[in-house]
Amino acid sequence: MDKLLRNKKAIFIFMAPAFILFTFVLFIPICQSIYYSFCDYNALTPPKFIGLENYKNLLQDKTLAIALKNSLFFLIFSCVTQLIMGLFLAALLTNIDKGRNVFKNIIYLPCVLSSAALGLLWMFIFSPKLGINQLLAKFGIEGPLWLMDINGFIILPMWVIAFVALWQYVGQSMMLYMAQISGISKSLYEASYIDGCNKVKSFRYITLPLIRPMVATAMSLNAIGSLKFFDLIFNMTEGGPNHKTEVLATHLYQQGFKYFKYGYASAIGVLLLILCLLVTAFINKVVKTEQYEM
Amino acid sequence: MKKISIPKIIIYIFLVLMAVLYLAPLLWVFNVSFKTNAEIFTAPFALPQAPTFENFTFAWTAGKLGIATLNSFIVCVITLALSMIIGSMAAFGIARLRWKFAKLSLTYFLLGMMIPVHCVMIPLFTRFAKVHLTNSLTGLILPYLTFALPVTIFIMVGFFEGMPNELIESACIDGATIYQIFFKVCLPLGKTGLFVTGLMTFIANWNELLLAMVFISDDLKKTLPVSLSKFVGPYNTNYSQMFAAIIIAIVPTIIVYCAFSNQIVDGLTAGAVKG
Repeated sequence: MDKLLRNKKAIFIFMAPAFILFTFVLFIPICQSIYYSFCDYNALTPPKFIGLENYKNLLQDKTLAIALKNSLFFLIFSCVTQLIMGLFLAALLTNIDKGRNVFKNIIYLPCVLSSAALGLLWMFIFSPKLGINQLLAKFGIEGPLWLMDINGFIILPMWVIAFVALWQYVGQSMMLYMAQISGISKSLYEASYIDGCNKVKSFRYITLPLIRPMVATAMSLNAIGSLKFFDLIFNMTEGGPNHKTEVLATHLYQQGFKYFKYGYASAIGVLLLILCLLVTAFINKVVKTEQYEM
Repeated sequence: MKKISIPKIIIYIFLVLMAVLYLAPLLWVFNVSFKTNAEIFTAPFALPQAPTFENFTFAWTAGKLGIATLNSFIVCVITLALSMIIGSMAAFGIARLRWKFAKLSLTYFLLGMMIPVHCVMIPLFTRFAKVHLTNSLTGLILPYLTFALPVTIFIMVGFFEGMPNELIESACIDGATIYQIFFKVCLPLGKTGLFVTGLMTFIANWNELLLAMVFISDDLKKTLPVSLSKFVGPYNTNYSQMFAAIIIAIVPTIIVYCAFSNQIVDGLTAGAVKG
């Protein structure tokens, strides 16, 4: 049997397809992308090495500054709100018996629907003369231009999009927390009730510490998701008005595939990758510090 | 005896409000997709006076959503089948076969989960353009497949590691080759895992917009999310047709979700809890 499991040819046959795909479609392109980020490359001419020029341009790019600000806003907003709402919903749902699955499935539903379609749907709902504003008009209120107002540091459209994203993805966090909470032993809670804890206290002192590893997982998923965020923005505002709702992903798309500045877009891609790695490392370090025996 | 307490009532009221918040936008779009354009502005929240299917036929044919649905279906089914077989083979190799770099190669694959697709888009696009893989469904399947592998491998490694050693031993004594052990013993036992990862792969690719938008410019090769986004632009005056288009795009997923919601949830948690 040992001979069977050490068979070199079998190992090769089992591993090769995945390895080849992974290397050629993911890792070589990543390396290329990093190389391109140091090049002047614009689709017509072959890449020409120019050192840090693209990165210098990044620093002066006004749209990039907006995109970075918006992406970071998204990151923080979604990490905080998803944590609070996700935990809150999970806590509520684990406390009821009847209809738990129905509510769970309804809240999780948008996670599996196409963000492209949902983006359009919300664009129409928030467009000046439809949906929300029609509803407000019934009460005699004139609704704002939800997706076009550009006043303030974080403009109204960004808040709208951030809330839509929360609406769409909170089900995922909720689901992860529910899975973790259901794994906590009932005897811990019983013991705490005997010691005089109420539900809120036992949530604070038992549930919260024990789901900490899951908080780290859910938060990293949120963080990476919000940095990659593209579909909703693209279909709700296309980065407009006047690039005010641009995020890193839409800016990369514009630079790369509208203006064919491959080198410059690659530099944005590298920035995105570094942010993803940094944020995950940070979350894992800060949130996942203590581990308890379950 | 249980009695209904006031906090419970508050919880239920809150949850019902949440459910309304989730279902109302979908129901509203569903409702207006059967209306005429004028009705959307005069009576936006009433039921349609004379429900019409014209919006749907228009979106399906003139909006090319029919062909797009077919393309999406082809891409998703092929990706799903390939990712299941290639992913579970690699997972078996990592979990069961004995070689030095098994652990290391798992790490290599898992790194793929952290890499945003945006970072590889440009090199892939230029490479694929050279070998005429852009504007072809094959060119979409390759990256979809690759990005589906990390999760598939991750979940399947868990399944294969959990299988008792005796199973493989007894198959070995009966004279099975390693390939027979994989295909006839281990793979059938990992069915649930495969099913779950398959569903997740299918849903993720069915909804993928960015790569499909970059790689495909030919109208007849576009997938559903791309055709949908493109459809909305030029027909910007006729809202009811666009609402019908949105419904066409989301209804298949809703049906799949209703049928398999428990498995989808299992898949999500299986993938994350172990991490």
